[in-house]
Amino acid sequence: MTFFLQGGGGILSFDTGFAIWVLITMLVFIWGMGKFAVPYIVKALDDREKRIKESLDSAENALAKAKEISKENEQALRDAEIKAQKIRKEAIEEAEKLRVERLEKAREESAKILQDAKETIEKEKERALIELRNEVADLAVRAASVIIDHELDEEKNKKLVNRFIDNLEEPSTIQKNEV
Amino acid sequence: MPTEALRPFFLFILLFCLITPLPAVANEVEETESSLDVMGKVLDHDYVEIAGKKIYLPRIFYVDGNFYFYSNTQSALESGEFVESEIGGIVRADGKPITIDFSISAHLIFFWLGVFLTFLITWLAARRYRRGVGSETEPRGVLQNLFEVFFVFVRDDIAKEYIPGEKYHKYVNYLFSVFLAISFMNLFGLFPWGITPTANLTVTATLAGITFLITQVSGTRDHWEHVFMFPGVHPLVRIILTPVEIIGLFTKPFALAIRLFANMLSGKIMIVSILGLIFVFTDMFGAWLGVGSSVFWVLLTALLYVLKGFIALLQAYIFTLLSAVFIGMAAEEHHHEDHESSVTTTAEATAKT
Repeated sequence: MTFFLQGGGGILSFDTGFAIWVLITMLVFIWGMGKFAVPYIVKALDDREKRIKESLDSAENALAKAKEISKENEQALRDAEIKAQKIRKEAIEEAEKLRVERLEKAREESAKILQDAKETIEKEKERALIELRNEVADLAVRAASVIIDHELDEEKNKKLVNRFIDNLEEPSTIQKNEV
Repeated sequence: MPTEALRPFFLFILLFCLITPLPAVANEVEETESSLDVMGKVLDHDYVEIAGKKIYLPRIFYVDGNFYFYSNTQSALESGEFVESEIGGIVRADGKPITIDFSISAHLIFFWLGVFLTFLITWLAARRYRRGVGSETEPRGVLQNLFEVFFVFVRDDIAKEYIPGEKYHKYVNYLFSVFLAISFMNLFGLFPWGITPTANLTVTATLAGITFLITQVSGTRDHWEHVFMFPGVHPLVRIILTPVEIIGLFTKPFALAIRLFANMLSGKIMIVSILGLIFVFTDMFGAWLGVGSSVFWVLLTALLYVLKGFIALLQAYIFTLLSAVFIGMAAEEHHHEDHESSVTTTAEATAKT
């Protein structure tokens, strides 16, 4: 059975000396790896991963901040727009008020002018009437004096007065047209 | 997570499916021994062969408290202290067996080579990282990127995945070292005159033994409680369960050792056997058929080489993965309410830290 031969022999043999070599080698090897090689790599990779994570985080933060700022800006813009609209509305209202006021005033003025004119006309008419009355009185006095001149005849008087009034109609229409 | 629940099942499959059957190959070996020494190709030797030249390695024997150093086997035999026994081994001249044979063998040379190469590459990479390439900037160059792929793979997909909580940091070193070293050792067999030291049971058993030791050392109180006490189980059931659990402690590294060893050995035997068929055919049917059929055998061997290259990395991965799984199982803090979900325990462990 050469397969189970001790000492560098068979396939299935367990060689103690060789195993001790392997064990010593492995212990030195793993110690050396743990001392000189692997921790540096682990640290480098961890550092890199941490840095990448941090930069991603900071980028995200910056993005969030930018979003917030743009939101604020938008809000401000909207506020300004609302304000502007308000101002415009106010201006329009003011203008409307002013216009109405002015219109009112103009109307009042025109009414006043009209009133004045009417009053003047009335006054003139009154004065004309008074003048007319004076004239009529004058005429009446004159007619009376004429009648007194011809006092004797009643019938003649009557006739005279009637004729006078008949004659009077014409000048009175002329007098009216003059006014 | 379904993979968590299926983990025991996968483990079971891995444990039993990956051991390749040996006897069939062994029979063939007996028959062809006259023309071709297949076993000689896979056994350990006292020399390293390079370009057809044999370099004999030193022999160191430890017998009854004394060390004997010889530059090679020949000088050991010439000294008269040791003689060759009938079955090929070396024994003392007075017939006593050698207590411990510390000889530097071919497998040991290639084991050292694999370990040295791993250390060299990792050390060079570490120097690069220390200079800031890869830590402050992105990793540059194909080699560093390739290195990082393997390193991050072992760290994230093996260590972090299977060892709960923040404990995994401690084991990245061991897992990565073992992964890369075993990969190199497995791949050495593909080179001319190269030897796969992991096709030696001693090597794989020692490696598995180291994993076993680390597993037991990192075992939590809960782990041991589950091995010996089984909280919540009837005392009589413990009579059966406790031995099973104790056997289970040892079958895990045993399977680890046998799997790697058998896979590597079978690959080597397959290649030597198939190439050996050229000589077998020449012996049996004449030179013409031997040479004529060689095209087929060489093609088959080339395909096997591709497969072996894949298996070399796969087995290194499986060894590392199962090491991480065993360590993770021992290091896990069990919570007796939920045995099944290791997810919650992991989350709780991280929350605690």
